[in-house]
Amino acid sequence: MSQEKTTLEIIAPSVDEAVARGLNQLGIPREMVDVEVLDTGSRGLFGLGSRQARVRLSIKSAEAPATTQPVSTSAPAQPVSKPAASVQPVSKPAAPVQPAELVQEDEPSVPGDPQVLNSASAVVNELLDKMSIKATVTARYIKGEEDEEHPMVLVEVQGNDLSILIGRRSETLNALQYIASLIVCKDVGRWVPMTIDIQGYRQRRDRQLRQMARRMAEQAVHTGRRQVLEPMPSSERRVIHLELRDHPLVITESTGEEPNRKVTITLKKQG
Amino acid sequence: MKDLIDYIARSLVDDPTQVEIKQDRAGASRVHIELRVAKEDMGRVIGKGGRVANAMRVLLRVAAAREGKQASLDVVEPR
Repeated sequence: MSQEKTTLEIIAPSVDEAVARGLNQLGIPREMVDVEVLDTGSRGLFGLGSRQARVRLSIKSAEAPATTQPVSTSAPAQPVSKPAASVQPVSKPAAPVQPAELVQEDEPSVPGDPQVLNSASAVVNELLDKMSIKATVTARYIKGEEDEEHPMVLVEVQGNDLSILIGRRSETLNALQYIASLIVCKDVGRWVPMTIDIQGYRQRRDRQLRQMARRMAEQAVHTGRRQVLEPMPSSERRVIHLELRDHPLVITESTGEEPNRKVTITLKKQG
Repeated sequence: MKDLIDYIARSLVDDPTQVEIKQDRAGASRVHIELRVAKEDMGRVIGKGGRVANAMRVLLRVAAAREGKQASLDVVEPR
């Protein structure tokens, strides 16, 4: 499976685990790869804001793997993190075990105007360059949210230590995206829906937000009290609203003033 | 830092010839940037509720931090 692929990115709760999973997936021993830690992850507070660790494994020589005996991929390499589903009767709802995954190609590309893509990556490249940030920029079209007819541009930024580009509550990332899309729109002469992602941050954050939304809704139902989430930018609040839109028991609302607007989850009035 | 604001401003305005940027040092690690554009373009670099100007400030902060500095940005009325 890994004949052509020479690098692999893995996300897992800890660096060690990520490396173990990656090796397991590649089916090669530790000595065969270079390990680059992209993000050591952090525990966060009460499970909020915690980040998973990210590592990149590069196979040292492309031909070498063929000569070694592959490690059995089904072997339970990490006994730590895999609670055997059948053995434990009580599974904690608050301990989600996310499977190791490939970062690339999560969102399938769709066809679109190549000129817009060129403009988008050129503009983001220029901005990063002027900010003295070294990174690789790629742009492609992906399916628009909810609206299949209008694809949107996804600009992906990859590089080392780009946390400075995300900023507190993704403030920097949103500013970059706003300025870049203004310039691109002016450049191509029409409105272009565009989103920038840095090292898969948006995708990870999205998953995290949905999980948190469900957990807080559960808690609201459980305790009968309204739950107020931490302040978030509008794009993140939107994710919460959408996730709980069809929830039978709760309603969501944004309260407070920017930049401290928060989502509040309250019980639906029964009647 | 100046280059960043220069690039953004020139890309957003209708009349790039009137974009003017002044960079002053304000102390050892503080830099002050003044941006002037044509009157008709003021709205484009400030934005609704100052959104564009604030986004530029956020990016400027990152650029300045790379050089171990702090920077501020003012958009000033054309003379």
